[in-house]
Amino acid sequence: MKDSIIEFDNVSFTYDGTEEEQKERLPAVKEVTLSIKKGEFVSVLGHNGSGKSTLAKLCNAILIPQSGKVTVCGMDTADESLIYDIREKVGMVFQNPDNQIVATIVEDDVAFGPENLGVEPKEIRRRVDESLKAVGMYEFREYEPHKLSGGQKQRVAIAGIIAMRTDCIVFDEPTAMIDPKGRAEVMETAKKLNRENGITVIFITHFMEEAAEADRVVVMDDGRVLLDGTPARVFGERETIRKIGLEIPSAANLADMLKENGIELESDVLTPSDCIDAVYEAARKAGVCS
Amino acid sequence: MIRDITIGQYLPGKSALHKMDPRVKIIVTFAFIIVIFMCKNFWSLGLMVLFTALCTILAGVPMRMMLKSLRPVMVILVFTGILNIFYTSGGNKLLEFWKITVTDKGIYTAVFMIVRIVCLIAGSSLLTYTTTPTMLTDAIERILSPLKVFKIQVHTLAMMMTLALRFIPTLIEEIERIMNAQKARGADLESGGFIKRAKALIPILIPLFISAFRRAYELAFAMECRCYRGGEGRTRMKQMKVKATDIVASAVTAALLGAVIFLNIYFKPVIG
Ligand SMILES: Nc1ncnc2c1ncn2[C@@H]1O[C@H](COP(=O)(O)OP(=O)(O)OP(=O)(O)O)[C@@H](O)[C@H]1O
Ligand SMILES: [Mg+2]
Repeated sequence: MKDSIIEFDNVSFTYDGTEEEQKERLPAVKEVTLSIKKGEFVSVLGHNGSGKSTLAKLCNAILIPQSGKVTVCGMDTADESLIYDIREKVGMVFQNPDNQIVATIVEDDVAFGPENLGVEPKEIRRRVDESLKAVGMYEFREYEPHKLSGGQKQRVAIAGIIAMRTDCIVFDEPTAMIDPKGRAEVMETAKKLNRENGITVIFITHFMEEAAEADRVVVMDDGRVLLDGTPARVFGERETIRKIGLEIPSAANLADMLKENGIELESDVLTPSDCIDAVYEAARKAGVCS
Repeated sequence: MIRDITIGQYLPGKSALHKMDPRVKIIVTFAFIIVIFMCKNFWSLGLMVLFTALCTILAGVPMRMMLKSLRPVMVILVFTGILNIFYTSGGNKLLEFWKITVTDKGIYTAVFMIVRIVCLIAGSSLLTYTTTPTMLTDAIERILSPLKVFKIQVHTLAMMMTLALRFIPTLIEEIERIMNAQKARGADLESGGFIKRAKALIPILIPLFISAFRRAYELAFAMECRCYRGGEGRTRMKQMKVKATDIVASAVTAALLGAVIFLNIYFKPVIG
Protein backbone atom coordinates (compact mmCIF):
# COMPACT_ATOMS: atom_id res chain seq x y z
CA MET A 1 0.00 0.00 0.00
CA LYS A 2 1.41 3.34 -0.97
CA ASP A 3 -0.20 5.64 1.56
CA SER A 4 0.78 3.58 4.60
CA ILE A 5 3.84 4.51 6.64
CA ILE A 6 4.17 1.56 8.99
CA GLU A 7 2.99 -1.89 8.07
CA PHE A 8 2.77 -4.87 10.45
CA ASP A 9 2.35 -8.15 8.62
CA ASN A 10 1.43 -11.05 10.91
CA VAL A 11 4.07 -9.97 13.43
CA SER A 12 4.95 -11.99 16.54
CA PHE A 13 7.62 -11.17 19.09
CA THR A 14 8.87 -12.98 22.21
CA TYR A 15 11.49 -11.47 24.54
CA ASP A 16 14.79 -13.31 24.87
CA GLY A 17 15.64 -15.07 28.09
CA THR A 18 17.40 -18.09 29.50
CA GLU A 19 16.27 -21.43 28.10
CA GLU A 20 14.04 -22.13 31.07
CA GLU A 21 12.42 -18.73 30.92
CA GLN A 22 11.99 -19.16 27.21
CA LYS A 23 9.89 -22.31 27.64
CA GLU A 24 7.15 -20.62 29.61
CA ARG A 25 7.46 -17.16 28.18
CA LEU A 26 4.52 -16.09 26.04
CA PRO A 27 4.91 -13.84 23.05
CA ALA A 28 4.55 -10.15 23.98
CA VAL A 29 3.07 -9.44 20.55
CA LYS A 30 1.07 -12.11 18.72
CA GLU A 31 0.19 -12.26 15.02
CA VAL A 32 -0.43 -8.55 14.69
CA THR A 33 -1.44 -7.22 11.30
CA LEU A 34 -1.82 -3.49 11.25
CA SER A 35 -1.33 -0.68 8.79
CA ILE A 36 -0.71 2.89 9.91
CA LYS A 37 -1.56 5.45 7.23
CA LYS A 38 0.39 8.62 6.55
CA GLY A 39 -0.92 11.56 8.54
CA GLU A 40 -3.05 9.48 10.88
CA PHE A 41 -3.38 10.07 14.62
CA VAL A 42 -3.66 6.60 16.10
CA SER A 43 -3.97 5.97 19.79
CA VAL A 44 -3.14 2.60 21.29
CA LEU A 45 -4.86 1.36 24.44
CA GLY A 46 -4.47 -1.77 26.52
CA HIS A 47 -3.95 -2.83 30.11
CA ASN A 48 -0.48 -3.28 31.65
CA GLY A 49 1.58 -5.91 29.89
CA SER A 50 -0.68 -6.10 26.86
CA GLY A 51 2.28 -5.48 24.55
CA LYS A 52 1.91 -1.77 23.73
CA SER A 53 5.52 -0.83 24.41
CA THR A 54 6.71 -3.89 22.54
CA LEU A 55 4.59 -2.85 19.58
CA ALA A 56 6.15 0.62 19.75
CA LYS A 57 9.70 -0.74 19.81
CA LEU A 58 8.95 -2.92 16.80
CA CYS A 59 8.13 0.24 14.84
CA ASN A 60 11.68 1.58 14.65
CA ALA A 61 13.86 -1.50 14.63
CA ILE A 62 14.68 -1.41 18.35
CA LEU A 63 13.15 -4.87 18.36
CA ILE A 64 13.01 -7.19 15.35
CA PRO A 65 10.08 -9.63 15.08
CA GLN A 66 10.83 -13.35 15.16
CA SER A 67 8.09 -13.99 12.67
CA GLY A 68 6.21 -11.76 10.32
CA LYS A 69 7.48 -8.50 8.91
CA VAL A 70 7.45 -4.82 9.88
CA THR A 71 7.97 -2.33 7.07
CA VAL A 72 8.51 1.41 7.50
CA CYS A 73 8.06 3.40 4.29
CA GLY A 74 8.77 0.23 2.37
CA MET A 75 11.90 -0.61 4.39
CA ASP A 76 12.03 -3.93 6.22
CA THR A 77 13.11 -3.39 9.86
CA ALA A 78 14.96 -6.73 9.77
CA ASP A 79 17.44 -5.26 7.27
CA GLU A 80 20.33 -4.05 9.42
CA SER A 81 21.71 -1.72 6.80
CA LEU A 82 18.48 0.33 6.87
CA ILE A 83 18.30 0.66 10.65
CA TYR A 84 19.26 4.36 10.81
CA ASP A 85 17.14 5.28 7.80
CA ILE A 86 14.19 3.75 9.63
CA ARG A 87 14.94 5.56 12.90
CA GLU A 88 15.24 8.80 10.99
CA LYS A 89 11.66 8.26 9.78
CA VAL A 90 10.13 7.02 13.01
CA GLY A 91 11.05 8.76 16.26
CA MET A 92 10.05 7.78 19.75
CA VAL A 93 9.08 9.71 22.88
CA PHE A 94 9.13 7.79 26.15
CA GLN A 95 7.35 7.92 29.46
CA ASN A 96 10.05 9.39 31.66
CA PRO A 97 11.16 12.77 30.32
CA ASP A 98 14.31 12.73 32.46
CA ASN A 99 15.69 9.59 30.87
CA GLN A 100 15.62 10.77 27.28
CA ILE A 101 17.29 14.16 27.54
CA VAL A 102 20.99 13.83 26.80
CA ALA A 103 22.50 17.30 27.01
CA THR A 104 22.83 19.86 29.78
CA ILE A 105 21.26 22.63 27.70
CA VAL A 106 17.89 22.45 25.94
CA GLU A 107 19.10 23.48 22.48
CA ASP A 108 22.06 21.09 22.61
CA ASP A 109 19.67 18.28 23.37
CA VAL A 110 17.44 19.11 20.42
CA ALA A 111 20.57 19.17 18.24
CA PHE A 112 21.56 15.66 19.35
CA GLY A 113 19.52 13.77 16.71
CA PRO A 114 20.55 15.86 13.68
CA GLU A 115 24.17 15.78 14.89
CA ASN A 116 24.03 11.98 14.89
CA LEU A 117 22.71 12.10 11.34
CA GLY A 118 25.68 14.19 10.26
CA VAL A 119 23.64 17.23 9.22
CA GLU A 120 25.53 20.48 8.41
CA PRO A 121 25.98 22.77 11.46
CA LYS A 122 24.04 25.68 9.92
CA GLU A 123 21.17 23.42 8.96
CA ILE A 124 21.13 21.93 12.47
CA ARG A 125 20.82 25.42 13.94
CA ARG A 126 17.86 26.11 11.64
CA ARG A 127 16.14 22.85 12.49
CA VAL A 128 16.70 23.32 16.23
CA ASP A 129 15.15 26.79 16.21
CA GLU A 130 12.28 25.59 14.05
CA SER A 131 11.55 22.56 16.22
CA LEU A 132 11.73 24.50 19.45
CA LYS A 133 9.28 27.04 18.04
CA ALA A 134 6.97 24.25 16.86
CA VAL A 135 6.66 22.88 20.40
CA GLY A 136 6.59 26.35 21.97
CA MET A 137 9.87 26.01 23.86
CA TYR A 138 11.99 28.51 21.93
CA GLU A 139 12.29 30.93 24.84
CA PHE A 140 13.71 28.13 26.96
CA ARG A 141 16.47 27.17 24.51
CA GLU A 142 19.29 28.07 26.89
CA TYR A 143 17.76 26.54 30.00
CA GLU A 144 19.12 23.53 31.82
CA PRO A 145 16.63 20.66 31.45
CA HIS A 146 16.37 19.99 35.17
CA LYS A 147 14.93 23.46 35.64
CA LEU A 148 11.90 22.67 33.45
CA SER A 149 8.55 21.13 34.36
CA GLY A 150 7.58 17.63 33.25
CA GLY A 151 5.43 18.88 30.38
CA GLN A 152 8.17 21.21 29.21
CA LYS A 153 10.79 18.46 29.33
CA GLN A 154 8.51 16.21 27.32
CA ARG A 155 8.08 18.97 24.72
CA VAL A 156 11.87 19.33 24.51
CA ALA A 157 12.04 15.59 23.86
CA ILE A 158 9.46 15.99 21.08
CA ALA A 159 11.48 18.86 19.58
CA GLY A 160 14.53 16.56 19.62
CA ILE A 161 12.59 14.08 17.51
CA ILE A 162 11.13 16.47 14.96
CA ALA A 163 14.54 18.10 14.47
CA MET A 164 15.48 14.82 12.78
CA ARG A 165 12.65 15.48 10.29
CA THR A 166 10.81 12.32 11.23
CA ASP A 167 7.59 11.45 9.41
CA CYS A 168 6.13 9.59 12.33
CA ILE A 169 6.41 9.85 16.11
CA VAL A 170 5.56 7.01 18.45
CA PHE A 171 4.64 8.26 21.92
CA ASP A 172 4.91 5.60 24.62
CA GLU A 173 2.75 6.86 27.48
CA PRO A 174 4.32 10.34 27.33
CA THR A 175 1.81 11.70 29.80
CA ALA A 176 1.95 8.98 32.46
CA MET A 177 4.46 10.76 34.70
CA ILE A 178 3.38 14.37 34.45
CA ASP A 179 0.71 16.56 35.99
CA PRO A 180 -2.61 17.36 34.24
CA LYS A 181 -1.34 20.71 32.94
CA GLY A 182 1.76 19.13 31.42
CA ARG A 183 -0.43 16.35 30.04
CA ALA A 184 -2.59 18.81 28.18
CA GLU A 185 0.54 20.57 26.81
CA VAL A 186 1.94 17.32 25.44
CA MET A 187 -1.37 16.25 23.90
CA GLU A 188 -1.83 19.68 22.32
CA THR A 189 1.69 19.54 20.87
CA ALA A 190 1.10 16.08 19.42
CA LYS A 191 -2.18 17.17 17.85
CA LYS A 192 -0.67 20.35 16.45
CA LEU A 193 2.25 18.48 14.84
CA ASN A 194 -0.20 16.02 13.35
CA ARG A 195 -2.51 18.73 12.00
CA GLU A 196 -0.03 21.36 10.87
CA ASN A 197 3.11 19.41 9.97
CA GLY A 198 1.39 16.26 8.74
CA ILE A 199 3.36 14.07 11.13
CA THR A 200 1.87 10.64 11.71
CA VAL A 201 1.29 10.06 15.42
CA ILE A 202 1.02 6.79 17.31
CA PHE A 203 -0.01 7.67 20.83
CA ILE A 204 0.11 4.96 23.49
CA THR A 205 -1.83 6.01 26.56
CA HIS A 206 -3.75 4.94 29.62
CA PHE A 207 -6.00 7.96 29.51
CA MET A 208 -9.24 7.31 27.66
CA GLU A 209 -9.85 11.03 27.27
CA GLU A 210 -6.66 11.31 25.24
CA ALA A 211 -7.47 8.25 23.16
CA ALA A 212 -10.92 9.64 22.34
CA GLU A 213 -9.31 12.57 20.53
CA ALA A 214 -7.52 10.36 17.99
CA ASP A 215 -8.64 9.55 14.42
CA ARG A 216 -8.32 5.88 15.17
CA VAL A 217 -8.06 3.73 18.27
CA VAL A 218 -6.28 0.38 18.51
CA VAL A 219 -6.97 -1.73 21.58
CA MET A 220 -4.40 -4.38 22.50
CA ASP A 221 -5.08 -7.35 24.72
CA ASP A 222 -2.56 -10.09 25.50
CA GLY A 223 -0.37 -9.12 22.58
CA ARG A 224 -3.18 -9.14 20.05
CA VAL A 225 -5.10 -6.35 18.42
CA LEU A 226 -8.58 -6.69 19.90
CA LEU A 227 -10.33 -3.65 18.47
CA ASP A 228 -9.33 -1.25 15.73
CA GLY A 229 -11.39 1.60 14.39
CA THR A 230 -12.67 5.13 14.94
CA PRO A 231 -13.05 6.19 18.58
CA ALA A 232 -16.83 6.13 18.18
CA ARG A 233 -16.76 2.54 16.95
CA VAL A 234 -14.21 1.26 19.45
CA PHE A 235 -15.79 2.93 22.47
CA GLY A 236 -19.15 1.77 21.15
CA GLU A 237 -18.04 -1.75 22.12
CA ARG A 238 -18.73 -1.00 25.76
CA GLU A 239 -18.88 -4.66 26.82
CA THR A 240 -15.56 -5.67 25.25
CA ILE A 241 -13.83 -2.59 26.65
CA ARG A 242 -15.10 -3.23 30.14
CA LYS A 243 -14.33 -6.94 29.92
CA ILE A 244 -10.59 -6.36 29.42
CA GLY A 245 -10.52 -3.95 32.32
CA LEU A 246 -10.39 -0.64 30.48
CA GLU A 247 -12.68 2.27 31.07
CA ILE A 248 -14.61 4.28 28.56
CA PRO A 249 -14.07 8.06 28.39
CA SER A 250 -15.85 9.80 31.24
CA ALA A 251 -17.85 11.96 28.83
CA ALA A 252 -19.20 8.82 27.18
CA ASN A 253 -19.88 7.38 30.61
CA LEU A 254 -21.87 10.47 31.50
CA ALA A 255 -23.88 10.14 28.29
CA ASP A 256 -24.64 6.51 29.19
CA MET A 257 -25.84 7.51 32.63
CA LEU A 258 -28.01 10.24 31.18
CA LYS A 259 -29.50 7.67 28.83
CA GLU A 260 -30.21 5.31 31.70
CA ASN A 261 -32.10 8.13 33.33
CA GLY A 262 -34.16 8.76 30.24
CA ILE A 263 -32.25 11.64 28.70
CA GLU A 264 -31.39 10.65 25.16
CA LEU A 265 -28.48 12.51 23.54
CA GLU A 266 -28.59 12.84 19.77
CA SER A 267 -24.99 12.18 18.78
CA ASP A 268 -22.19 9.88 19.93
CA VAL A 269 -20.39 11.52 22.81
CA LEU A 270 -16.67 10.89 23.42
CA THR A 271 -14.92 14.11 24.36
CA PRO A 272 -15.97 16.73 26.90
CA SER A 273 -16.70 19.21 24.12
CA ASP A 274 -18.95 16.66 22.31
CA CYS A 275 -20.72 16.21 25.58
CA ILE A 276 -21.30 19.91 26.16
CA ASP A 277 -22.70 20.29 22.64
CA ALA A 278 -24.98 17.28 22.92
CA VAL A 279 -26.28 18.21 26.36
CA TYR A 280 -26.89 21.76 25.19
CA GLU A 281 -28.75 20.43 22.15
CA ALA A 282 -30.87 18.14 24.32
CA ALA A 283 -31.64 20.95 26.72
CA ARG A 284 -32.67 23.22 23.84
CA LYS A 285 -34.97 20.52 22.43
CA ALA A 286 -36.54 20.06 25.84
CA GLY A 287 -37.11 23.78 25.98
CA VAL A 288 -34.93 24.28 29.07
CA CYS A 289 -32.90 26.97 27.33
CA SER A 290 -32.80 28.74 24.01
CA MET B 1 15.14 24.19 46.20
CA ILE B 2 16.88 21.48 44.23
CA ARG B 3 15.79 23.15 40.98
CA ASP B 4 18.22 25.96 41.64
CA ILE B 5 21.41 23.93 41.63
CA THR B 6 23.77 24.85 38.87
CA ILE B 7 26.29 22.32 37.71
CA GLY B 8 29.90 23.41 37.94
CA GLN B 9 30.57 26.96 38.98
CA TYR B 10 29.82 28.85 35.80
CA LEU B 11 29.03 32.54 36.23
CA PRO B 12 27.08 33.81 33.23
CA GLY B 13 28.60 36.88 31.62
CA LYS B 14 29.58 38.56 28.41
CA SER B 15 33.22 39.43 29.06
CA ALA B 16 36.09 38.79 26.65
CA LEU B 17 37.03 35.78 28.77
CA HIS B 18 33.53 34.36 28.42
CA LYS B 19 33.68 34.80 24.68
CA MET B 20 37.01 33.10 24.17
CA ASP B 21 37.19 29.83 22.32
CA PRO B 22 37.08 27.25 25.15
CA ARG B 23 39.85 25.22 23.49
CA VAL B 24 42.20 28.18 23.53
CA LYS B 25 41.10 28.99 27.06
CA ILE B 26 42.01 25.53 28.31
CA ILE B 27 45.41 25.60 26.60
CA VAL B 28 46.15 29.13 27.83
CA THR B 29 45.20 28.09 31.37
CA PHE B 30 47.64 25.19 31.17
CA ALA B 31 50.35 27.51 29.92
CA PHE B 32 49.53 29.89 32.79
CA ILE B 33 49.99 27.08 35.31
CA ILE B 34 53.35 26.12 33.81
CA VAL B 35 54.51 29.76 33.84
CA ILE B 36 53.55 30.05 37.52
CA PHE B 37 55.72 27.05 38.30
CA MET B 38 58.60 28.69 36.48
CA CYS B 39 58.53 31.77 38.71
CA LYS B 40 61.60 31.86 40.96
CA ASN B 41 61.35 35.21 42.75
CA PHE B 42 58.81 37.71 44.00
CA TRP B 43 59.17 39.89 40.92
CA SER B 44 58.07 37.25 38.46
CA LEU B 45 55.43 35.89 40.82
CA GLY B 46 54.21 39.42 41.44
CA LEU B 47 53.73 39.86 37.73
CA MET B 48 51.57 36.73 37.62
CA VAL B 49 49.52 37.90 40.62
CA LEU B 50 48.93 41.19 38.84
CA PHE B 51 47.91 39.35 35.68
CA THR B 52 45.52 37.06 37.58
CA ALA B 53 43.94 40.06 39.31
CA LEU B 54 43.50 41.84 35.97
CA CYS B 55 41.85 38.79 34.42
CA THR B 56 39.51 38.47 37.41
CA ILE B 57 38.40 42.06 36.99
CA LEU B 58 38.09 41.62 33.23
CA ALA B 59 35.90 38.52 33.68
CA GLY B 60 33.73 40.40 36.18
CA VAL B 61 34.13 37.67 38.79
CA PRO B 62 33.45 39.16 42.23
CA MET B 63 36.25 38.92 44.82
CA ARG B 64 33.87 37.04 47.11
CA MET B 65 33.57 34.21 44.54
CA MET B 66 37.34 34.01 44.17
CA LEU B 67 37.78 33.69 47.93
CA LYS B 68 35.10 31.01 47.93
CA SER B 69 37.06 28.93 45.47
CA LEU B 70 40.07 29.09 47.83
CA ARG B 71 38.18 27.66 50.78
CA PRO B 72 38.68 23.97 49.88
CA VAL B 73 42.48 24.41 49.72
CA MET B 74 42.75 26.35 53.00
CA VAL B 75 44.18 23.30 54.83
CA ILE B 76 46.79 22.79 52.14
CA LEU B 77 47.76 26.47 52.33
CA VAL B 78 48.24 26.39 56.09
CA PHE B 79 50.13 23.11 55.92
CA THR B 80 52.42 24.38 53.16
CA GLY B 81 53.12 27.53 55.16
CA ILE B 82 54.04 25.68 58.35
CA LEU B 83 56.19 23.10 56.60
CA ASN B 84 58.16 25.73 54.74
CA ILE B 85 58.71 27.95 57.78
CA PHE B 86 60.08 25.11 59.88
CA TYR B 87 61.93 23.03 57.38
CA THR B 88 63.78 25.54 55.23
CA SER B 89 67.45 25.52 56.03
CA GLY B 90 69.84 28.47 55.70
CA GLY B 91 69.21 32.21 56.00
CA ASN B 92 69.34 34.42 59.10
CA LYS B 93 67.96 33.01 62.32
CA LEU B 94 65.00 35.01 63.59
CA LEU B 95 63.69 32.76 66.32
CA GLU B 96 64.84 29.63 68.03
CA PHE B 97 63.05 27.46 70.54
CA TRP B 98 63.30 23.79 71.46
CA LYS B 99 64.45 22.04 68.28
CA ILE B 100 62.88 24.49 65.85
CA THR B 101 64.53 27.43 64.17
CA VAL B 102 62.70 30.03 62.10
CA THR B 103 64.77 31.85 59.49
CA ASP B 104 63.92 34.77 57.23
CA LYS B 105 64.46 32.49 54.27
CA GLY B 106 61.89 30.11 55.72
CA ILE B 107 59.29 32.86 55.93
CA TYR B 108 60.03 34.08 52.43
CA THR B 109 59.69 30.56 51.04
CA ALA B 110 56.43 29.99 52.93
CA VAL B 111 54.89 33.21 51.63
CA PHE B 112 56.14 32.47 48.14
CA MET B 113 54.59 28.99 48.12
CA ILE B 114 51.27 30.22 49.46
CA VAL B 115 51.01 33.02 46.92
CA ARG B 116 51.88 30.56 44.18
CA ILE B 117 49.11 28.14 45.16
CA VAL B 118 46.56 30.96 45.52
CA CYS B 119 47.49 32.23 42.09
CA LEU B 120 47.18 28.72 40.67
CA ILE B 121 43.72 28.14 42.11
CA ALA B 122 42.51 31.60 41.13
CA GLY B 123 43.74 31.15 37.56
CA SER B 124 42.12 27.77 37.04
CA SER B 125 38.90 28.89 38.75
CA LEU B 126 38.68 31.65 36.19
CA LEU B 127 38.44 28.94 33.54
CA THR B 128 35.49 27.21 35.22
CA TYR B 129 33.85 30.51 36.16
CA THR B 130 33.76 31.68 32.55
CA THR B 131 33.06 28.40 30.71
CA THR B 132 29.96 26.19 30.92
CA PRO B 133 30.57 22.51 31.73
CA THR B 134 29.20 21.55 28.31
CA MET B 135 31.66 23.86 26.58
CA LEU B 136 34.47 22.40 28.67
CA THR B 137 33.71 18.78 27.80
CA ASP B 138 33.18 19.77 24.17
CA ALA B 139 36.52 21.55 24.08
CA ILE B 140 38.30 18.67 25.80
CA GLU B 141 36.88 16.31 23.20
CA ARG B 142 38.19 18.51 20.41
CA ILE B 143 41.59 19.10 21.97
CA LEU B 144 42.09 15.39 22.59
CA SER B 145 40.75 14.27 19.23
CA PRO B 146 44.26 13.69 17.77
CA LEU B 147 44.54 10.84 20.29
CA LYS B 148 42.11 8.90 18.11
CA VAL B 149 45.19 7.84 16.16
CA PHE B 150 46.15 5.76 19.19
CA LYS B 151 42.68 4.18 19.26
CA ILE B 152 41.66 6.13 22.38
CA GLN B 153 37.88 6.59 22.50
CA VAL B 154 37.93 10.34 22.97
CA HIS B 155 34.32 10.81 21.89
CA THR B 156 33.07 8.13 24.27
CA LEU B 157 34.94 9.74 27.15
CA ALA B 158 33.50 13.16 26.38
CA MET B 159 30.00 11.69 26.03
CA MET B 160 30.36 10.04 29.42
CA MET B 161 31.36 13.35 30.97
CA THR B 162 28.41 15.13 29.38
CA LEU B 163 25.96 12.49 30.57
CA ALA B 164 27.44 12.57 34.06
CA LEU B 165 26.96 16.34 34.17
CA ARG B 166 23.43 15.97 32.83
CA PHE B 167 22.43 13.41 35.45
CA ILE B 168 24.00 14.94 38.55
CA PRO B 169 20.96 17.13 39.32
CA THR B 170 18.56 14.29 38.48
CA LEU B 171 20.32 11.91 40.83
CA ILE B 172 20.55 14.50 43.62
CA GLU B 173 16.80 14.97 43.31
CA GLU B 174 16.38 11.22 43.46
CA ILE B 175 18.53 10.91 46.60
CA GLU B 176 16.38 13.51 48.27
CA ARG B 177 13.23 11.64 47.28
CA ILE B 178 14.55 8.29 48.52
CA MET B 179 15.72 9.84 51.80
CA ASN B 180 12.30 11.31 52.40
CA ALA B 181 10.65 8.00 51.54
CA GLN B 182 12.88 6.12 53.99
CA LYS B 183 12.35 8.74 56.69
CA ALA B 184 8.62 8.39 56.18
CA ARG B 185 9.08 4.69 56.86
CA GLY B 186 10.81 5.53 60.12
CA ALA B 187 14.44 5.32 59.05
CA ASP B 188 16.78 7.22 61.36
CA LEU B 189 19.50 8.81 59.25
CA GLU B 190 20.87 11.44 61.58
CA SER B 191 21.73 9.87 64.91
CA GLY B 192 24.17 7.26 66.13
CA GLY B 193 27.85 6.64 65.62
CA PHE B 194 29.75 6.31 62.39
CA ILE B 195 28.96 2.63 61.85
CA LYS B 196 25.26 3.11 62.56
CA ARG B 197 25.06 6.02 60.16
CA ALA B 198 26.94 4.16 57.45
CA LYS B 199 24.49 1.29 57.85
CA ALA B 200 21.59 3.70 57.57
CA LEU B 201 22.90 4.69 54.15
CA ILE B 202 22.37 1.21 52.70
CA PRO B 203 18.60 1.58 52.25
CA ILE B 204 19.32 4.80 50.37
CA LEU B 205 22.14 3.59 48.17
CA ILE B 206 20.47 0.38 46.99
CA PRO B 207 17.33 2.03 45.55
CA LEU B 208 19.53 4.77 44.13
CA PHE B 209 21.67 2.26 42.25
CA ILE B 210 18.69 0.29 41.00
CA SER B 211 17.08 3.41 39.67
CA ALA B 212 20.34 4.65 38.15
CA PHE B 213 20.69 1.38 36.23
CA ARG B 214 17.10 1.62 35.01
CA ARG B 215 17.73 5.18 33.89
CA ALA B 216 20.88 4.15 32.06
CA TYR B 217 18.96 1.41 30.27
CA GLU B 218 16.18 3.75 29.19
CA LEU B 219 18.62 6.48 28.19
CA ALA B 220 20.49 4.02 25.99
CA PHE B 221 17.20 3.18 24.26
CA ALA B 222 16.37 6.83 23.76
CA MET B 223 19.82 7.53 22.34
CA GLU B 224 19.52 4.65 19.90
CA CYS B 225 16.14 5.94 18.80
CA ARG B 226 17.82 9.22 17.98
CA CYS B 227 20.28 7.46 15.68
CA TYR B 228 23.24 7.64 18.05
CA ARG B 229 26.07 5.43 16.83
CA GLY B 230 29.20 6.82 18.47
CA GLY B 231 31.37 9.66 17.29
CA GLU B 232 31.80 8.54 13.71
CA GLY B 233 30.08 10.69 11.08
CA ARG B 234 28.74 12.97 13.78
CA THR B 235 28.58 16.74 13.21
CA ARG B 236 28.22 19.44 15.85
CA MET B 237 25.78 22.33 15.87
CA LYS B 238 28.07 24.64 17.80
CA GLN B 239 31.30 25.16 15.95
CA MET B 240 34.32 26.52 17.76
CA LYS B 241 36.19 29.33 16.08
CA VAL B 242 39.46 30.96 17.04
CA LYS B 243 38.81 34.71 17.09
CA ALA B 244 40.95 37.83 17.55
CA THR B 245 40.48 37.68 21.35
CA ASP B 246 41.97 34.21 21.40
CA ILE B 247 45.02 35.30 19.44
CA VAL B 248 45.51 38.29 21.76
CA ALA B 249 45.17 36.02 24.82
CA SER B 250 47.75 33.59 23.43
CA ALA B 251 50.13 36.46 22.63
CA VAL B 252 49.74 37.89 26.14
CA THR B 253 50.51 34.48 27.64
CA ALA B 254 53.61 34.14 25.48
CA ALA B 255 54.72 37.64 26.51
CA LEU B 256 54.14 36.66 30.14
CA LEU B 257 56.37 33.63 29.69
CA GLY B 258 59.12 35.82 28.24
CA ALA B 259 58.80 38.37 31.04
CA VAL B 260 58.95 35.67 33.72
CA ILE B 261 62.11 34.16 32.21
CA PHE B 262 63.68 37.63 32.09
CA LEU B 263 62.76 38.48 35.70
CA ASN B 264 64.04 35.09 36.85
CA ILE B 265 67.44 35.81 35.36
CA TYR B 266 67.59 39.48 36.34
CA PHE B 267 66.64 39.13 40.01
CA LYS B 268 67.94 36.81 42.71
CA PRO B 269 65.77 33.69 43.15
CA VAL B 270 63.90 33.05 46.39
CA ILE B 271 63.65 29.33 45.90
CA GLY B 272 65.54 26.49 44.23
N1 LIG C 1 12.71 -6.54 28.46
C1 LIG C 1 11.80 -7.50 28.67
N2 LIG C 1 12.18 -8.77 28.89
C2 LIG C 1 11.29 -9.74 29.07
N3 LIG C 1 9.96 -9.56 29.04
C3 LIG C 1 9.50 -8.33 28.81
C4 LIG C 1 10.39 -7.24 28.61
N4 LIG C 1 9.66 -6.12 28.41
C5 LIG C 1 8.37 -6.52 28.48
N5 LIG C 1 8.27 -7.82 28.71
C6 LIG C 1 7.01 -8.60 28.81
O1 LIG C 1 6.31 -8.46 27.60
C7 LIG C 1 4.92 -8.27 27.83
C8 LIG C 1 4.45 -6.99 27.15
O2 LIG C 1 5.10 -5.88 27.74
P1 LIG C 1 4.94 -4.40 27.26
O3 LIG C 1 5.97 -3.62 27.98
O4 LIG C 1 4.95 -4.36 25.79
O5 LIG C 1 3.51 -4.05 27.80
P2 LIG C 1 2.77 -2.64 27.87
O6 LIG C 1 1.47 -2.83 27.22
O7 LIG C 1 3.64 -1.59 27.34
O8 LIG C 1 2.56 -2.45 29.42
P3 LIG C 1 2.54 -1.10 30.27
O9 LIG C 1 1.18 -0.56 30.16
O10 LIG C 1 2.85 -1.57 31.64
O11 LIG C 1 3.59 -0.20 29.72
C9 LIG C 1 4.72 -8.26 29.33
O12 LIG C 1 4.25 -9.51 29.72
C10 LIG C 1 6.10 -8.03 29.89
O13 LIG C 1 6.27 -8.70 31.10
MG1 LIG D 1 4.64 0.20 28.21
